[in-house]
Amino acid sequence: MKKHAITLTVNGEEHDLVVPSNRTLLDALRDDLGYTDTKYGCGTGECGACTVLVDGTTSLNGCLTLAATMDGRSITTAAGLARDGNLHPVQESFIRHDAVQCGFCTPGMVLKTISLLAENPTPSEAEIRHGLEGNICRCTGYSKIVEAVQDAGSRMQGTGE
Amino acid sequence: MTSRVMRDFDLLLPESVAEVVDLLTRHKNNAAILAGGTDLLIALKFDYAVDNVISLALVPGLAELTFDPEKGLVIGARVTIADILKSPEVRENYPALWQAAKVFATPQLRNTATVLGNVLRASPAGDCSLALLALGGSVLLKNSRGEREVDIDNFWISYGVTARQDDELAMAFKIPPPAAGQKSAFRRMTRTTEDLSKISAAVSLQMGGGTCQTARVAMGCVGPTLVRLPGVEKILEGAEISPEVLQEIVAATAAEINPIDDKRSSAEYRLKVAGVLVKRVIGQALDNGGNN
Repeated sequence: MKKHAITLTVNGEEHDLVVPSNRTLLDALRDDLGYTDTKYGCGTGECGACTVLVDGTTSLNGCLTLAATMDGRSITTAAGLARDGNLHPVQESFIRHDAVQCGFCTPGMVLKTISLLAENPTPSEAEIRHGLEGNICRCTGYSKIVEAVQDAGSRMQGTGE
Repeated sequence: MTSRVMRDFDLLLPESVAEVVDLLTRHKNNAAILAGGTDLLIALKFDYAVDNVISLALVPGLAELTFDPEKGLVIGARVTIADILKSPEVRENYPALWQAAKVFATPQLRNTATVLGNVLRASPAGDCSLALLALGGSVLLKNSRGEREVDIDNFWISYGVTARQDDELAMAFKIPPPAAGQKSAFRRMTRTTEDLSKISAAVSLQMGGGTCQTARVAMGCVGPTLVRLPGVEKILEGAEISPEVLQEIVAATAAEINPIDDKRSSAEYRLKVAGVLVKRVIGQALDNGGNN
């Protein structure tokens, strides 16, 4: 199987690595580079646990992306959101609203929220529910997550985040 | 590895259309094209085996979505569902396609999946594909001998099978320019919106002076491929769309489809709701496209 030398910038840090053709971005992040905050759920693009942001705030499923096609791209995982020891406002809102139970879906939910709020800073509840489709929480309902997203949206207004 | 590992293949990263065509000529059915990959990678994790995966990621010119009022819309092979949603021209001129894109899968998949990939998948549940069937148009194919266009009415042969030959690259989908008075809409039924459709309908109507001049009516999940409903189109053409005409359509729809029982719905249910869905999508089209 062919191997590919690529450069990935993850959370601002540049990594050179060599990946086989069939390596997913998710596996490259977790197993080659140690970014285990990106989770493996279903492997088929339905659960969103492997969500990452690419080149800014575009959300992708790491499990359905080949690492070798991402040469030169910039990836953000949940571990890269804090700044100077302070959590991202979306992370703060998830904590404040207890929008975390087991936590497995949370990295993906937080990243997806950032992507959603970048497109629509003041989403309605319906827009939040539509926007978070593709990220599944199996612990509980989604009420607290929706509240956290609404709160994050209003807290981020005017902060330029 | 953390996750399910795909079987071995060589990923090829050509940098021009000519190079892609050369690779397809050489490898034929032992190669798969990777554009978005949201269907292909799942297939490779399960029962699909191929030695060569040809990525379009570095091929210039295929990511273009261009609208010209004289020539219509050209959707390049790498145009994603999210690109469709961002296009005011699609929203205004081809509401059926924009509406299908809006409810297509999930945000992550919309950022990755391509319109042409949806067409090539040849699934009877394809949402954007159904809108394209209602709007009409053609698939532009290229191999080492030249290019050809296949009308969408002849493109899907059976479930998962299209008119594309193994050595052909699907370059683009072309939709004709909107006619004066053209209205279109897409509508579907699902349990939650990220599910695949249980049943879906799309129409494109050319209205003039209160009457329907030409109609294309298409349904999904009611047969092995997406289908048009010629009997319903015949009722519409030349008619003023009155409540009586709509009732006639509701009654006529079931005779034109052949749904099955599967995990998403039953044949009985689909037969029962199909006519009402067609009636509603016509109403949505007339209601200024029903974009919201």
